[in-house]
Amino acid sequence: MTAVTLPLNKSLRLQVPLLLPGLVVAIFLPVLAQQTSLLNEPHALTLTGGCVLAIAGLSLNVLLGYAGQISLGQYAFVGVGAFTTGLVTGVTDLRLPWVVGLVASAVAGGLIALLVGLPALLLRGLYLAVVTISVAFAASESLFRVDRIGGGSAGKVVPPPYFGTHALNTSVDALTIGLVVLVLLLQMDVNLVRSRLGRAFRVLKEDETVASSFGVDVARYKLTAFALAGGIAGLAGCIDGTAFGTIQGQSFDYSHALALLVVVVIGGLGSRTGIVIAAFLTTVYPPVLVAVFGDGIRGWDQTINGIVLMLTVAFQPRGFAGAFRDAAEHRRMRQGGEPPLPPTRPNLPDLGRPKGMPEPRRTKGDTAVLEARDISVRFGGLQAVDGASLRVDRGTISALMGPNGAGKTTMFNAISGALSPDTGTVRFLGEDVSSLPPHARAARGMGRTFQLIGLAKDQSVYENLLIAQHLAAPYGVLSALTTVGSRRWEREVRQRADQTLEGLGFGRFRDTPVGRLSHGQQRIVEIGSCLVTSPELVMLDEPSAGMSPAAAEDLAATLIDIRDQLGRTVLLIEHNVPLVLGTADELYVMDAGQVIANGEPLDVVQRPEVVRAYLGEVVA
Amino acid sequence: MLQVLAIGLISAGIYALFAVGIVLVYRGTKVLTFAGGEVGTAALYVAAFLVTDHGMPWVVGALAAVLIAAAAGLAFEAGLVRWSREADPVVTSILTVALSATIFATEFNLHGNNPTTLETPVRIGSGLDVDGVIVSPIQIAAIVVAALLGFGLQSFLRRTDFGLAILAAADDAPATLLVGVRVSRIRLVLWASSFGLAAVAALLVEPTVGFITPGYASTLYLGGLAAAVIGGLDSLPGAVVGATVLGLAQAFADKYFKGLGLSGLSYVVTLTLLLVVLLVRSYAPEIRKRLAAPVEVTA
Repeated sequence: MTAVTLPLNKSLRLQVPLLLPGLVVAIFLPVLAQQTSLLNEPHALTLTGGCVLAIAGLSLNVLLGYAGQISLGQYAFVGVGAFTTGLVTGVTDLRLPWVVGLVASAVAGGLIALLVGLPALLLRGLYLAVVTISVAFAASESLFRVDRIGGGSAGKVVPPPYFGTHALNTSVDALTIGLVVLVLLLQMDVNLVRSRLGRAFRVLKEDETVASSFGVDVARYKLTAFALAGGIAGLAGCIDGTAFGTIQGQSFDYSHALALLVVVVIGGLGSRTGIVIAAFLTTVYPPVLVAVFGDGIRGWDQTINGIVLMLTVAFQPRGFAGAFRDAAEHRRMRQGGEPPLPPTRPNLPDLGRPKGMPEPRRTKGDTAVLEARDISVRFGGLQAVDGASLRVDRGTISALMGPNGAGKTTMFNAISGALSPDTGTVRFLGEDVSSLPPHARAARGMGRTFQLIGLAKDQSVYENLLIAQHLAAPYGVLSALTTVGSRRWEREVRQRADQTLEGLGFGRFRDTPVGRLSHGQQRIVEIGSCLVTSPELVMLDEPSAGMSPAAAEDLAATLIDIRDQLGRTVLLIEHNVPLVLGTADELYVMDAGQVIANGEPLDVVQRPEVVRAYLGEVVA
Repeated sequence: MLQVLAIGLISAGIYALFAVGIVLVYRGTKVLTFAGGEVGTAALYVAAFLVTDHGMPWVVGALAAVLIAAAAGLAFEAGLVRWSREADPVVTSILTVALSATIFATEFNLHGNNPTTLETPVRIGSGLDVDGVIVSPIQIAAIVVAALLGFGLQSFLRRTDFGLAILAAADDAPATLLVGVRVSRIRLVLWASSFGLAAVAALLVEPTVGFITPGYASTLYLGGLAAAVIGGLDSLPGAVVGATVLGLAQAFADKYFKGLGLSGLSYVVTLTLLLVVLLVRSYAPEIRKRLAAPVEVTA
């Protein structure tokens, strides 16, 4: 293993055990508090309400805080969970145990959220906000008022769970159940954040194109986020129903959706601790207010919440958790900040293909890694690429040059699948990949970088190296949530990330957000991320842009290393002629969407049509 | 049939009134206002305070309500929106959700769920008889005002310097600032008129409902929101058309579902219509690309 030092706070955070002590507290504290008469039944009911809100908050946090999908109607799924519990356990002749209701509430919440998530594949931002708010209204004003679902004005009864023959029907029991579920979900949340699923959510939130270039199936992960969040909200509903014994449609109306927003925004999006604290604070303080100021103040907590929410959204949009992080950041900055990095030539390690990504199939005798034929792309009235073809042989560096607007990046996007061309085919390692989405092409060994840096800028360098290995750790959602079966994959990807980090010479920037690095440093991290899975083809879009001449020379050496030491194939878009002449085996020149010349680089740059494309005609 | 049509058009008028205010702010700031319903309800409480409690004429109360709502819009922009740390339309939209929550809670704390009445010069129950449905003059006024606003404001935006400045500020605020337009003033005007319009809409809607409770305009406002989105969000006439489609669809669906013994499903109708329109629209470029041959554009 490499000697990368963990910063203190990170290593400490990893060591805090949550599950066992949490469960012990959840199970024994309420009973103990009741025995010592610190806790009475009304108190317990209030605190259970806090549990419900905290769990609902975790649910919205997964969707909005992690995956960046707006939902203003998340509370509706709490209702779905509650009524599902009522419907399932309320069938008198079946007498299904309460646990079935619990599981059913999560399943129903998840499935219905999956349906609601479908439009999210096409809608973003405010449109999604309108759709989800309409879902909430449709559920609370229409669906839950249907007598068969909501039980009419009497509401729906939820029978209590049984422990042996003993009915757990007190509020202290409900609080215990709520706390146990909350602790389990918190552990699940911890696992989620550290897993490939959490990483996929984070990159998805920042940039969907970058996500798919790392092999993240954007549609699938968006739906996963909706379903997961819906399932968690469903559990909150089950706890709610269990605590109150009966559920009514108006318990899930719009004012509750706002209570949820208050908890998540004030606690701080993305911070489970902040959200849980905010959930309990907002449920506990109103009764305290009434106790202190008398009955006249009852209800005014809602007004206070609203005002605090407005002020938070306007002035501290990342909530209290964000404020704490900002304060810590300021302290670090005052202590001198991070030292600048002397420019070093990256020495990329040869990692080989990861175990999770099989060696791509190769057709024997065929030396072409990539063959793009007759690619045409039209944007409205502009023919960006017009019947362009190119071929890249194994173990070579091919360069694509051309004046601005020649269609080079569009050609790249057509090859990587970021856009689908109007005509033409793309063959990769002998296979026709023309109809495959970008993440599937990435899975086959196509790696790429972007002109404007394709990294998750808010995430650390190390995090980006892990995100880039999305396909190298192919475990499923359940493993991600429980860590069962994910550990060996995580060990491998973390080791590869460490090795790459060391090879790049970026050890001291391990936990620095990529967005804080200089452009040239970001570029090196991007190339490192691209190579961390050892893709067969490395596509680099203007890697030397914004680099100093000295750094560009280092880049040239790195490119030759990628070809000669790592045995990879490179296709790059470049404007830097000395860099191209010093590295490329084959040069393609594009102009006005067409390939106007190709061949041996030194020869191609001297051809009259190439000179004309760059410098124009000499007017006599 | 005629009956359903009349009911549909009455709700369409209500939705359109709200939708016009929503689209106006959206065109000028790219922000979606979720607060109009509560702003309108609060304005009604102001009117009821003056008219019902202090015996002033309805016109005075209504005027005061609209002015106070507009002033609240000014205050909201100058006090919060302008100073937001993240000047992002989505964040500002969430800010309006928070405003809506605050107003709702305050209304509830002041008045509880007891209905408040506002004496209106025109009562429901007299007016045009359409196949058994009595359409009162104020409901006709709502439809007419909505249509006039929808089409009138559109040409105001397109034809006047101030209107064009509004559109430019929404597209690129820094560039608009650079050519000498006071973007901050435009935003003040937009928020003031949006909140004022919400009050106008609520005043025209109130006689149809007959009483005021906290949050009562919010459910109607959601219809306006849906109508605005169905109409394309950036088109004022589109908002009016969207409202008409939504109002009629709800009326017909209500009649159909009543025949099946189901009621109160109008939100499901709203949601379905919203989804269908949004999905069709986001697929439309793809469909068009496949159907139509590329059009040659001369450079």
